[in-house]
Amino acid sequence: MTLPLDAGRTVNVPFRAYRRLALAALRSLTAYPMSFAFSMLASAFSALAMLYLWRAVLSNGRASSGFDWPHMKAYLLVTFVANSLVSAYTDYQMCLRIRQGDIAMDLIRPLDYQRARFAEACGFGLYEAGAGIGAVAVATLIFGGLPAPSLRSFGLFLLSAVFVLPLRFGIVYTSGLVTFWTQNYVGVQAARIALVTFLSGSLVPLAFFPGWLRVIAGAAPFAGMASTPALIFGGQLQGAAALRAVGVQAVWTVALWLLARAFWLRASRQLTVNGG
Amino acid sequence: MRATAPKTHGPDLASLLSYGDIFDRRHCYIAGMALIDVSDLTKIFRRPQKRPGLLGSFRHLIERRFTDHVAVDHLNLSVERGEAVAYVGPNGAGKSTTVKMLTGILVPTSGDIRVAGLTPHRDRVTNARNIGVVFGQRTQLWWDLPVRDSLELLRDMHGIPEARFRRTVERLDAVLKLTEILPSTARRLSLGQRMRADLAAALIHEPAIVYLDEPTIGLDIAVKDQVRAFVKQLIAEGTTVMLTTHDLGDIEDICHRIVILDEGRLLYDGDLQAVKDNYARERTMHFQVATPITDPAALAVRLPGATITRGDSDREIAVTFDRLAIAAGDVLSAVFEHAEVVEVEIDEAAIEHVVRKVYAGELKLAAQRAKEAA
Amino acid sequence: MRSTLQYEADFWIMSVTAVITQGVGIVFLWAIFRSIPRINGWDFWEIVLVYSLVVLAEGVSQLFAQGVWNLARVVNTGELDPYLIRPYSPVLQVLGSEVGMNGLGNVGLGIALLVGAVIHVQVAWSPARLALLAILVVSGGLVKIGLNLLANSSAFWLKTTWAMVPFSLHTFGELTRFPLTIYSTAIRLVLAVVLPYAFMSFFPATAVLGRGAPQWVGLLTPLAAGYCLLLATWVFRRGLVRYESAGH
Repeated sequence: MTLPLDAGRTVNVPFRAYRRLALAALRSLTAYPMSFAFSMLASAFSALAMLYLWRAVLSNGRASSGFDWPHMKAYLLVTFVANSLVSAYTDYQMCLRIRQGDIAMDLIRPLDYQRARFAEACGFGLYEAGAGIGAVAVATLIFGGLPAPSLRSFGLFLLSAVFVLPLRFGIVYTSGLVTFWTQNYVGVQAARIALVTFLSGSLVPLAFFPGWLRVIAGAAPFAGMASTPALIFGGQLQGAAALRAVGVQAVWTVALWLLARAFWLRASRQLTVNGG
Repeated sequence: MRATAPKTHGPDLASLLSYGDIFDRRHCYIAGMALIDVSDLTKIFRRPQKRPGLLGSFRHLIERRFTDHVAVDHLNLSVERGEAVAYVGPNGAGKSTTVKMLTGILVPTSGDIRVAGLTPHRDRVTNARNIGVVFGQRTQLWWDLPVRDSLELLRDMHGIPEARFRRTVERLDAVLKLTEILPSTARRLSLGQRMRADLAAALIHEPAIVYLDEPTIGLDIAVKDQVRAFVKQLIAEGTTVMLTTHDLGDIEDICHRIVILDEGRLLYDGDLQAVKDNYARERTMHFQVATPITDPAALAVRLPGATITRGDSDREIAVTFDRLAIAAGDVLSAVFEHAEVVEVEIDEAAIEHVVRKVYAGELKLAAQRAKEAA
Repeated sequence: MRSTLQYEADFWIMSVTAVITQGVGIVFLWAIFRSIPRINGWDFWEIVLVYSLVVLAEGVSQLFAQGVWNLARVVNTGELDPYLIRPYSPVLQVLGSEVGMNGLGNVGLGIALLVGAVIHVQVAWSPARLALLAILVVSGGLVKIGLNLLANSSAFWLKTTWAMVPFSLHTFGELTRFPLTIYSTAIRLVLAVVLPYAFMSFFPATAVLGRGAPQWVGLLTPLAAGYCLLLATWVFRRGLVRYESAGH
C-alpha cells in the first residue's frame, strides 16, 4: 500500500499512457468497421453530390470565383478528408458515456478529461484519415486526377493539415459537453455539423460567400478546419497569405483549447450520475 | 466497546510511522489527522418538474419549474487511516452520491471534503492516484481490450514501474486468479470474472484508500465469498476501505464501523459489533428432535422470556431468545432435558435485522457518536 | 406526441437545428448562384423547386412516420413485442410511434421555398397545373415515407441497434436535391428505378416544369408512391415473420 500523495505534488502522466489510450480508441473502432463505414458513407454521398454539381457547372473549362474544375475537385476532396476527422463518432461517444453515466469511470482515472478525449480523437483520427484518403482515391478514379501542388505548397499544406484535427476537436469536444445540460444531443450535433460544414467552407468555398458572410467566416475558427488547408493545397493560398492563414489556425487552436477547459469547469458541475 | 487498531501483517510504512494510538478512535480524535474528512456535505439535484398531460407539457415549454432533491443532507463523517467503514442505507439514501463526491465525480452543492488533504473534485487527478474505486454496476475496464491491456494502460497512467507492476499483478493473481481472465476481452467476461478484473484494476496502483460501491451485486455465492475474503485481506494490509452495499453479508466480519444513511442524513455512525451487541440480541436456535416434545409448557418455564415455536413438523422446534438474557448453553441444556435432540442449528445475530429495523424507523440507534467524545 | 413534447428543450433544439440545416443548404445554393446563371440548363428557382420538394417530403415523413427510425433499436432490443400484441397494424404503430416535431420546421421551410419557386419560375401556372403540383407533392411525401420504411425494415435482418444502413440510404436519396441530369447514368438509374428517390422531387418537378425528362414520367409519381409503400409493407411483413419465427 502506498502512502497518499498530498496536494503539493502534481505528477505528470507519461505520454505513453496517452499513446496507449489513442491506440485503444483506434482498436475500438476497428472492432466496428461496418458502423464506421456507414457513417462515412453518409458524408461521402454528400461529397458525391457536390462533385457532380460542380462538374456540371465547371465542366467546360469555365471558372468561377477563381475555381476551375480541377481546382474545385481538389478543394472538395481535401475538405472531405478534413471533415472526416473528429467526426460525429467522437462526440457521440462522449455523449453516450455521459448519458449512461459511464463518465464516472472516466473521472476516476488520473487523467485530465480533455487531454484523454483528445488522445482518443487522435486515435480515431488515424482511422478516419485513412478511410478518407481511401475514399479520395476512389473519387479520383471516377472524376479524374487532382492538380499536384508545388513542393513549397505541399509543405505548407502539411503544416496546415496538422491543425485541422485539434481545431475540429476544440469544437466537437465543446459541443459534446453540451450533453451535460441536455438529453437530446442528436439535435445539437446536427446543428453543429451543419454550421461547421458551412462556415468552414466545406459546402461552398468561402470565396463564393457574399462580403458580409465572408467577414463572419473570417473571424470564426472554422475556416482553418477545411478551407485553409484546401486552398493551400490547390495553390490558391500561397506565400505570406498562406503563412498568415496557418498562423490564424494556430491561434484558434490554442484559444479553442482554453475555452473548452473553461467550459468543462461549468459542465462538470452539472453532472448527475444516476444510481444510489 | 472494544478498541480497534488497524491490523497489519508485517512491517508496512503506516505502522512504521507509529500513528498507532491516534487510530484508536475511542481515545482521541485529532481534527485534521483523519484521512477522509467530510463536513457539512450537501448535494442537491435540481430536476425539471414535468406536469402531467399534454397541456402540462405545453405549459412546461413556457414556464419551467424545478424540484430540488436533496440527495445528501449536511453530512459529517471522518475516516481514519486503516479503517474499514460500512456505508449502508436504503435505496436513494445518498450512499452512491456520497461516494461519487468523495471520488471527485460529482461536485458538492455545499460543504467540504478533504481526502488525504486534497479536495476531490478540484484536485481530481491527484486524488485519483490515491484511490481505487469499484462500482459494482459499471466496469472501469476498456470494453474492447483484453484485461491485460486494460491493466497495462492503468499502469501507464499511474506511472508504475514495470517491476512493481509485475509484482502487484502476481499478488493480485494469487487471490483473484487473474491468469485465466487476463487475455479475455472485457466484453466477454462473465459478471464474476469482470468483478475480479475490476478489483484488480482498482488496486493495480496500490492505493491507500479504496471505495467499493456494491461490489457483490449480481454475483453468485461462490464469487461473493471470494470478493469478501479479498476485501478482508485488503483491510488486514492496512488499506482504508469504504464499503457501500445493500448486501449486509458483505460487511459482516469485515467492517468494524458502520454508518447508516437515510434520505441523505446520517442515522448512525459507530462500531458494528456494538450495534450487534446492543441491538441484535435476538438469536434463534433450531432443534430437530427424535420424538415430539412431551411437555412444551415445562420447557417454556425453564427458559423465561424465550419464544418457543413449532417448525414444519412435530419434530422441529425453534427457540428465540435474547442472548444477553439467556446463554446459548442454557437453551441447549434445557432442550436436551426435554427431548432427544438429533440436530441443532443456530442463527447468528445478524446486522441485517438491526438495519432493517432502522430503515423501518422502528429503531433509533444512539445518535451519531460525537466527535468530541473522549 | 405527448412524449415528444416533454423534451421541451429538445423541441427548440430540433426546430432550430432543422432550420439551420436546411437553411445552410439554401444559402449554399444561393451562394453558388450569385456567380453562376444556370446549372445544366436549370436556373436558380427551378433548382429551388426541386430542393423544396425534398425538404417537404422530409418534413412530411418526419411528422407522420418518424417512428421508422427507431426500428433498428426496437427490433434488436425486443421492444417490438408490445406492438405485436396490440390489435392494430404494427406498421402503422411503428410509423406513428414518434412524431418528429422538426418536421414542422421542414414543412414550413419547404412550403416557403416552394411558394417562392412557384412565383419565380418561368412557367405558366394554371389551376390544373397547381393541382397537379399539389398531388405530386403529396405523392412525393409518400414516396419518402415508403422508402424510409423499406430502408429501416433492414433492421429485421441486421443485428445493430443503430439505423446506419437506412441512414446511409437516406443521405443517398438526398442526391435528389439537385436535378438528376448532373449525375452519371449509373446513379440516375439507381435513383430512378432501384431506389426511386427521384420521384420525391425530380420527376414531379419535371412534370410541372416541362423539362429535364418526359412529362409522363413525372405523372407516374403517385404510382411510384403506391409501389414504394406496398413494397415497403411487404418487406416489413417478411421481416416480421422472420422476427417472430426466431422466437423471443
